[in-house]
Amino acid sequence: MACLCFPSTTPLPRFPSLSPRVSITKIFPSSISLFGPSRFRSHGVDLRSQATAATLTVDYRTPGEETLDTGPPRILLEVRDLSAIVAESRQEILRGVNLIINEGEVHAIMGKNGSGKSTFAKVLVGHPDYEVTGGTVSFKGEDLLNMEPEMRSHAGVFMSFQSPVEIPGVSNMDFLLMACNARREKRGEPALSPIEFFGFLSPKLVAVNMNPKFLDRNVNEGFSGGEKKRNEILQLAVLEAELAILDEIDSGLDVDALQDVAKAVNGLLTPHKSLLMITHYQRLLDYIKPSYVHIMEAGAIVRTGSFSLAKQLEKEGYRSVSVA
Amino acid sequence: MRPPRRRRLLLQPKAVAASHPAAVSLSDPFVLDIADMLEDSVSSFSSSSSSVLQTLRDASSHSLLSQRWPTHKDEPYRFTDTSFLKSSKILPAVPPSTISPSFSSPSSNLITFVDGHFMPSLSSLSSLPAGAFAGSAADITPGPLYDTVMASAGDAFHHGDLFWNLNGLGAPDLTVIYIPDGERMIDEPLRLRFYSAAASETGLGRLPLSNPRVLVVSGKLAELAIVEEHLEAESCEGNGCYWSNSVVEILVEEGGKVSHSYVQMQSRNAAHIKWTFVRQEKCSTYELVEISTGGKLSRHNLHVQQLGPDTTTELSAFHVAQSDQIQDLHSRLVLEHPRGYSRQLHKCIVSSSSGHAIFDGNIKVNRFAQQTDAGQLTRTLLLAPRATANIKPNLQIIADDVKCSHGAAISDLEEDQLFYFQARGIDVKTARDALVFSFGVEILARIPFEPYRKSVSDRVKELLTAS
Ligand SMILES: Nc1ncnc2c1ncn2[C@@H]1O[C@H](COP(=O)(O)OP(=O)(O)OP(=O)(O)O)[C@@H](O)[C@H]1O
Ligand SMILES: [Mg+2]
Repeated sequence: MACLCFPSTTPLPRFPSLSPRVSITKIFPSSISLFGPSRFRSHGVDLRSQATAATLTVDYRTPGEETLDTGPPRILLEVRDLSAIVAESRQEILRGVNLIINEGEVHAIMGKNGSGKSTFAKVLVGHPDYEVTGGTVSFKGEDLLNMEPEMRSHAGVFMSFQSPVEIPGVSNMDFLLMACNARREKRGEPALSPIEFFGFLSPKLVAVNMNPKFLDRNVNEGFSGGEKKRNEILQLAVLEAELAILDEIDSGLDVDALQDVAKAVNGLLTPHKSLLMITHYQRLLDYIKPSYVHIMEAGAIVRTGSFSLAKQLEKEGYRSVSVA
Repeated sequence: MRPPRRRRLLLQPKAVAASHPAAVSLSDPFVLDIADMLEDSVSSFSSSSSSVLQTLRDASSHSLLSQRWPTHKDEPYRFTDTSFLKSSKILPAVPPSTISPSFSSPSSNLITFVDGHFMPSLSSLSSLPAGAFAGSAADITPGPLYDTVMASAGDAFHHGDLFWNLNGLGAPDLTVIYIPDGERMIDEPLRLRFYSAAASETGLGRLPLSNPRVLVVSGKLAELAIVEEHLEAESCEGNGCYWSNSVVEILVEEGGKVSHSYVQMQSRNAAHIKWTFVRQEKCSTYELVEISTGGKLSRHNLHVQQLGPDTTTELSAFHVAQSDQIQDLHSRLVLEHPRGYSRQLHKCIVSSSSGHAIFDGNIKVNRFAQQTDAGQLTRTLLLAPRATANIKPNLQIIADDVKCSHGAAISDLEEDQLFYFQARGIDVKTARDALVFSFGVEILARIPFEPYRKSVSDRVKELLTAS
């Protein structure tokens, strides 16, 4: 494809530096419940996390932006008492998840293997393997659970998968174009031709530091673990979602790739976009600073704290933060 | 019924009985009727009854005497329902006297057949390499080529079935294409176009039968690309009733390479029965990419015979069976010499409960075929409840030092893949269409000529999305 030529001399754009950031102190919204169902409250953890949350530092990723929203934070995602089972086996996985994400916030969910983090993310985007058995999820005030998966995407929710599926026979370029034009159609915008689309895509390829050759390959087919993750971020960049849920975007990445991906994600963040990261390691959070860190255990969020919670985890393990 | 006509066929019952001791059913009246009719029709237009053609007809009629119409009790037709043919009134296809201009298209190295007849006016042979030949077997002067052609006309092909022999008897001519030693015909492939123009309307139960027959001889170290298409005339509007019963023989001489694309997009009311008989001399390569979407009954009999060591054979097929369609590939690869390498990939989609796919893929590795490396894979996508596929991959290995693998899978679309599309905002219908089409892309991508690959892919895509 001639339009895929990409001069190798194209300079990489400068990424905003990660260190100097505008910090403001934000009062933790009092109307929001970040805690698990009452059976966890009896463990007395909620008060501590609330105390931590009250003095959180919120980092907006746009350097130099001095004027900040003065109005009350707008709630983007509100999850209340969400429970879900595996559709086939009827096994209960999520047992009352509560979470609120405001516009512009960065959240992280950590938790042991099998605690239900990926399930939570997949339920939010409507994966057919699961059935919601209770609770509500609203996104920008709309009932998310009532929407088909593609409508959730159009509404602005994006999830990058822990292990993205391979789609032999469908080129990455075609897939991205289909996704982009489906979104444009939904918004009443004219479809982009492949050539127009390539123009739109080029800076995004640079941002994720991805070789345009990957556009000609089939979606994720034969991609290395790291290449798959970059590809997910490329899709996020194309879809310009307001809430990005990144499930272990850092797993399988080498140091350089992690930096690339983190830079790209930071580059996508605006004061109105929010991020929910699922991770096992503090390393990612060093690059993309979360406002809140949640711990998931046995299908519920049992603790919420600041970045320091992640540090504590890294040092002392889950035992130190567990409520069980 | 014209008993006097049948007499010639019955002239040699003794010889038949001798060579086919088990042949007791000497008279299947349905078969003899067709044979009779074909004999009648060929004599009406055979001005050039060459000795080659006469040899072919004699050998074919001889074999026909012992053949009856197949039933499901015959293994090769166990799953293939031919009753549609049997219940039709079969007539000889007579090509229309005027050919609509929509037939012709500017292309070099083009050979057009209409209802089995070679049409010089619709062909373009001026750019064939020097020393090449394309034309009637009757025009070949004595020499090595003549001997090759004569041998293949007279040698009974033991695997040839009733349809092979009906073709041999009913072919109006034997068209021969010869590419001399060392020639390369890759960028401008040899295009063989088979049109069916003499079609009957639906509902009349009439089925004009045509029997095109081609022999391609590709010389030593020659490289030849063939694009073989079976289409129907535009006048039939895609739904004419006819029976195209073709034979294409290919001889790949020592060290040569033939890359063969075979595309079958005939009418959904037609029968398409075809034999491809390939012989490979030592160190030769044969690659086939087959795309078949047309026909009510489509049966491809593919036989590849290894004649020497160190051959390479790559067979790929993509079939689409929609409502009221049978797509059948019966292939046999016979390896009798050392160090043969072969790969076969068969893929089919059955998209309707009345669609039926059949694959019988036999690979025979005989005693002297040591160090053979043979692989076979078949994948079927069933998209409708009660959609049927009968898949029979089979390897028969007699040699002991060989590497052979095979696999078969039958599935529906992958839920996870569908969801991935949806999660990126693409609706289910678009996602399904993309995934169904992508199933065939692996084969379509093997068509070696870009513009042609694209046009075939587009037609397949259209077909799959329309359903
Ligand atoms: N489709 C499914 N079918 C059966 N069990 C499932 C399914 N999805 C999740 N589970 C089970 O639910 C539990 C939670 O799985 P999940 O993938 O959400 O964990 P996780 O917190 O993401 O773990 P990890 O850190 O290892 O990625 C596990 O015990 C898992 O086996
Ligand atoms: Mg997980």
